[in-house]
Amino acid sequence: MARDEWWRKLQNSLMAVRFGVIVACLLMVVVFTAALATLSRVISLEYVTIVYLIPVMVAATRWGVVPAVITALAAVAVCAFFFYPPIYDFRVEKIEHIADLALFVLVAVVTGRLATTAREAEMRTEAETLREAMIGAVSHELRTPLSSIVGSVSVLAASPEIANNAKLSPLVKGLHDEAERLNEHIQNLLDATRIKSDGIRPNVEWVEPGDIVNAALERKAELLSKHRLVVKVVPDLPLIRTDPALIEKALGQLLENAAKYSPAGSVIEVIAERRDVPVRVVVRDQGAGFAPDEREMIWERFYRSPRHRDRTAGSGLGLWIARALARACGAETEAYSAGAGHGATFSLLLPVQPNPDAYNLEDSDE
Amino acid sequence: MSESRPVVLIVDDELQIRRFLRAGFEMEQFSVLEAATAEDGLRAATLQPVDLLVVDLELPDLDGSEIVERLRSWSTVPIIVLSVRSSEAEKVRVLELGADDYVVKPFGMAELLARARAALRRQSRSSSGEHLVKAGRLTIDLAARNVLLGNERIQLSPKEYRLLQTLAQHAGNVVTHQQLLKEVWGVKHQHRAHYLRIFVRKLRQKIEEDPTQPRILMTELGVGYRLASRAEPGTVTEELSQ
Repeated sequence: MARDEWWRKLQNSLMAVRFGVIVACLLMVVVFTAALATLSRVISLEYVTIVYLIPVMVAATRWGVVPAVITALAAVAVCAFFFYPPIYDFRVEKIEHIADLALFVLVAVVTGRLATTAREAEMRTEAETLREAMIGAVSHELRTPLSSIVGSVSVLAASPEIANNAKLSPLVKGLHDEAERLNEHIQNLLDATRIKSDGIRPNVEWVEPGDIVNAALERKAELLSKHRLVVKVVPDLPLIRTDPALIEKALGQLLENAAKYSPAGSVIEVIAERRDVPVRVVVRDQGAGFAPDEREMIWERFYRSPRHRDRTAGSGLGLWIARALARACGAETEAYSAGAGHGATFSLLLPVQPNPDAYNLEDSDE
Repeated sequence: MSESRPVVLIVDDELQIRRFLRAGFEMEQFSVLEAATAEDGLRAATLQPVDLLVVDLELPDLDGSEIVERLRSWSTVPIIVLSVRSSEAEKVRVLELGADDYVVKPFGMAELLARARAALRRQSRSSSGEHLVKAGRLTIDLAARNVLLGNERIQLSPKEYRLLQTLAQHAGNVVTHQQLLKEVWGVKHQHRAHYLRIFVRKLRQKIEEDPTQPRILMTELGVGYRLASRAEPGTVTEELSQ
């Protein structure tokens, strides 16, 4: 099995080498041989075969391992035939010469691999720069027309002609909601791309936990409007040190998930409390829940439970984004369900750092 | 009447966005000027009196934040910036350069109008000497240094009052953490971000009905705080023409 794979890899890399490259490799060997042959009247060629390392290294750095090995083998053949006694015979007598020939092949393999690694690293950096530029451009190119739509619709909705027209105003409202949804999708895609390219740089500061909860609820207000919300923020939670924007987005994804997988009219509880960890934000729904063996899988990218795949629209990105954003700023996520159909509880566990002078402010309040 | 209409200058390179902004502002009795580039915008702002600027941050010729900086060198005209970048650091930067507020694209007209009204009100307050600021049930008398919740006077520590006062001077508009720290604790304490969080918590306990669900002292996550605006639609022009 492993050997089959190895063979397939070798075949692939051999096939990937272009014919022109092989010709170029062999041509280099020919040129060097011709040059050495003209020198043969002046010096003994037995000791200068080391110059064949030049074409081997050129092939290795420019084209990789396979062309380098081909060049090395060609050089070996040429040396054995022309320069090492017995001359005009492929046999080699001296043990040092055999070592020389082995050296060619070794150099070819080692240099080729090093060069390939370096080239790949360079390509990766380029790809990353490109991806960053893409994220920026896509964000701008998609958002600009969307901004015109959302803005224009908001003006239409406020105009007396539309507002007083019972037939048209629901259409304009629908237009607004759909455009907002599109905006959410674009944001999710951008977040997903940013996570994949490790482009998240947390901006850590002191935050009131309740502020994050309120901001996430406000942003998702439209989505949650069909559910009964029960919000409970325990007073006097410790301040936390994190990136509020990232945690708010992560919580937003949990809220969106709850709204999507629980029936309209059911209760969604949002609680910020001190339990096991200093600050835990819980989103509890009365919806579809999940089976015990799905507990970790639901956080994976593109994972969608077979029970909803055909019935509920979704990308399978939401929870994965939530976990990635939370982890990027030191928080953790947890999921619990009593089983399929029994609702689900998702938690964000927020990190707290000791803050010695935070509660000792009376002196500063003169 | 037409002389008393407030003038708004819109600086944005997207035609479609200028169109809906024009329609939206005209519906609210503004008179509207447009510019598609930063240079045109700066020229227009120097050639005639303008009451409000709405500036896109991504213009073809200059970064929008540069317009804010240049305008602020000679003018206190209210500036609202529009941005597709939703990075908090970017918002903070442009606010500290002197913009009054921001909205992130895509946005609805109502949101922009609320920010614009608040900024216009700040401007008219400073020119008319008006010293009462209302936010929900809260009344702040900036001259008498009194704070009333309903009809009851509430006791604030000097720093709590400074905090509320700074927010009240910009009522309806966002004030960054750094600006608040500087105003209340002074330049030397600008890194003490957690002081601010704790004083906001104390203040909320005194002025909010439910401190965990604030309706008056609002948070702009990662940026700063905003005293809720009591804006009712259609009040700007009346206030300006008074």
